[in-house]
Amino acid sequence: MIQLDKVTKQYGTKTAVHEMSLEVPAGELFAFLGPNGAGKTTTIKMLCGLLFPTSGSIRVGGFDLRTDGGRARQLLSYVPDQPYLYEKLTGREFLQFIADMYGLSRDHGRRRVAEAIEQFRLGEFIDDLTERYSHGMRQRTVFASALVHEPKVLIVDEPTVGLDPRSVRQLKDLLRRQADGGTTVFLSSHSLDVVQELADRIAIVDHGRLIGCGDLETLRTQAAVDGSLEEVFLKLTEPEAAEDFAAAKPQANGQEAPR
Amino acid sequence: MISPTPRPLLMLRLRATMIRNHFRTLLGQSMVRPLTVVLITLLIWALVFYASLEGFKFLRDEKIPLHGEIVGILLDLLFLTLGALLVFTGGLILYGSLFTAPETAFLLCTPLADDRVFAYKFQTATAISIWAFLLLGGPILIAYGITCYAPWYYYALLPLFFLGFVQLPASVSAIVCLLVVNLLPRRRKQVLMVCIAAVVVLLAAWVVQVVRDAQQFQDHEAVHRLLGRFTFAGTALTPSHWAARGLQAAARGEAGRSLFQLALVWSNGLFAYLIAAFTAKRLYRRGYNRLATGGSLRRRYGGAWMDRLLTASLPFTTERTRLLIVKDFRTFRRDPQQWAQILIFTGLITLSITVARRIFVADLGRHYQNFISFFYVGVVGLLICIYTGRFVFPLFSLEGRKFWILGLLPIERGQLLWGKFAFASAGAVLIGEFLVLLSDLTLGMAWPAVVLHALTVAVLAFGLSGLSVGMGACLPNFRETDPSRIVSGFGGTMNLLVSLLFLLAVLALMAGPWHALMAWGDEGGPALWIVWAGLAAGAAVGAAAVILPLRMGIRALREMEF
Repeated sequence: MIQLDKVTKQYGTKTAVHEMSLEVPAGELFAFLGPNGAGKTTTIKMLCGLLFPTSGSIRVGGFDLRTDGGRARQLLSYVPDQPYLYEKLTGREFLQFIADMYGLSRDHGRRRVAEAIEQFRLGEFIDDLTERYSHGMRQRTVFASALVHEPKVLIVDEPTVGLDPRSVRQLKDLLRRQADGGTTVFLSSHSLDVVQELADRIAIVDHGRLIGCGDLETLRTQAAVDGSLEEVFLKLTEPEAAEDFAAAKPQANGQEAPR
Repeated sequence: MISPTPRPLLMLRLRATMIRNHFRTLLGQSMVRPLTVVLITLLIWALVFYASLEGFKFLRDEKIPLHGEIVGILLDLLFLTLGALLVFTGGLILYGSLFTAPETAFLLCTPLADDRVFAYKFQTATAISIWAFLLLGGPILIAYGITCYAPWYYYALLPLFFLGFVQLPASVSAIVCLLVVNLLPRRRKQVLMVCIAAVVVLLAAWVVQVVRDAQQFQDHEAVHRLLGRFTFAGTALTPSHWAARGLQAAARGEAGRSLFQLALVWSNGLFAYLIAAFTAKRLYRRGYNRLATGGSLRRRYGGAWMDRLLTASLPFTTERTRLLIVKDFRTFRRDPQQWAQILIFTGLITLSITVARRIFVADLGRHYQNFISFFYVGVVGLLICIYTGRFVFPLFSLEGRKFWILGLLPIERGQLLWGKFAFASAGAVLIGEFLVLLSDLTLGMAWPAVVLHALTVAVLAFGLSGLSVGMGACLPNFRETDPSRIVSGFGGTMNLLVSLLFLLAVLALMAGPWHALMAWGDEGGPALWIVWAGLAAGAAVGAAAVILPLRMGIRALREMEF
């Protein structure tokens, strides 16, 4: 569903993403990890069509994002770490706007909006202007809007920041359900416990390079650590380990099939 | 059930819903804010209308034909000036809207086509432009219609001419904006500065030529030469000329000719928009990528010598207050959008002072010299008013999300405001005194006038700074991060209104009586004691403008939670 083929992205003379290749099939919950400044957000922005690769190509659902971006974006939903809501719309108006934006017919759109309100328990505040929403209310509305058009790909950047434990639990269940229902979930997060619990496969990037990709066992083997994802992550992103890896094997195995 | 393209009119409906909700929110709140905005708008409109009406009546009384060449040139210049302003302001609004607004990133991640995102943003920028047109151009042209007894359809065609005409400058600014971002993403600010400098230089050269011709305004040939200087605005290929001539034709009752000019304006406006949309379809997302990828030229921020100089010049303040002043100064000087505007205004006033000298100084009677010097004190006061309203008032609101840093500092909160006041008044005094001294010395004013003007400007600088700092703390807007939005909000509008009233009061009290005495002497002029009393009253008003708002601001600041 998502294919990155030798994608490089440069900011002036700085290389943010270096020849990254990845393939994420439909229905997989794929986690994307890395230290700050590793190139995660740049990769996500390229996946959404906000930025173009300097070289290489990205395809979503078979559509090249550079040449057929509109059709590729029709398939995906992006929930950024600081999501945008129109302050002067109510939650319901915003959801309806998204349904119209993605071309849902009037009846289908209304039904999906009603289902999203029910699913995310937005009923209490859905007819208030979003400028009055708390962080949790905003986050639920944003997820409802991201799923209202039933995307094939859901890209989520740091979704657990600022959420209480119950909301985090609900979010984890939601992401798992989406993946089980056939949606490809591309999750970027620093919450390693969430990733360890949820992800089918995990990619670790550092300095713009993919330094590891696979299920937890594969990464444990690669890091020669038999511990938690946190220990594996810290081991792989140690400066010496990352340098050794880059010198020995410039591109990790990103094409591995899910478990 | 799912269409590959978003619904037509989707963005139009979005905007309509947001406007409706906005008005509902407004009506649900106190009416003081919307009423104040409406009243101020009406006041400005009425003032422009009255001045224009008197101006056109003067022309009519002087037997200058209102349907003739001279008034035609004036209308050409009006449309050209408004058009040029729209290119500049529209470009800046569009740049912010197309490339830096958070909404843009959201929309570009949706399946909405690039040219539809562009069209949505373009319509917003054009709506703002039309608003400026209605506020400034509307009253002038209605006054023109009334003076020359225009038929009813002149007024009906007026908004259509506006609407058609604004497409052109808005499209030009959009094309330029897209090209600059695509071709020179790392040097866009430098391009803007070079463009502004080029416009200022060309304008200065033109003004000098006009003044030179005006000085030889004696024979028929000189009059023609002077008029010839303005013909660039009225060539058959300039859109400003089509709009001006179309409205003149409507005012004369030539409906057919007016409609032809209207069609010319609209067809060219829409064609320009098509080119802009075509350019956006190919270059908008590419430009967004280039801007995000290329970024600004990386530079090391130094300039520590300026900070040291400022620190050394503030020995009378406490160490902590000095640190706060230097922090505000550092933020100010690293934002060229802020100081460039002040620099441009100061440059234009300096230019006009030197031009005024060329015109009048040779055979300047005391009456005119007196009047002109008073006029420049007012202009300098207005510049300080703009400086404090535009840059000083939002200073406190801009601390917004960072306020907890200041709130936790081991300093008395009142010091925060005194620091901002010292920073603001230092800048205002420096600029104001420089300009007023330049004006007085250029005009050859006597020393009592120079001292009086210096005192008046000092009171204005301190008073306006106190007002803006105090009101900025009393009416903060922590939701906005854009200073121009803070200024255009309720607090900013109130501050501007109070500042303008203060400016008028100080001018009337401090400089007014002396100038009246100089103009009319013992015959009708005020007594000398009134001049002294006015000075004392002006100084008292100035002190009140510093102390009261700052006290209120400090009280508000102490009660503020973060």
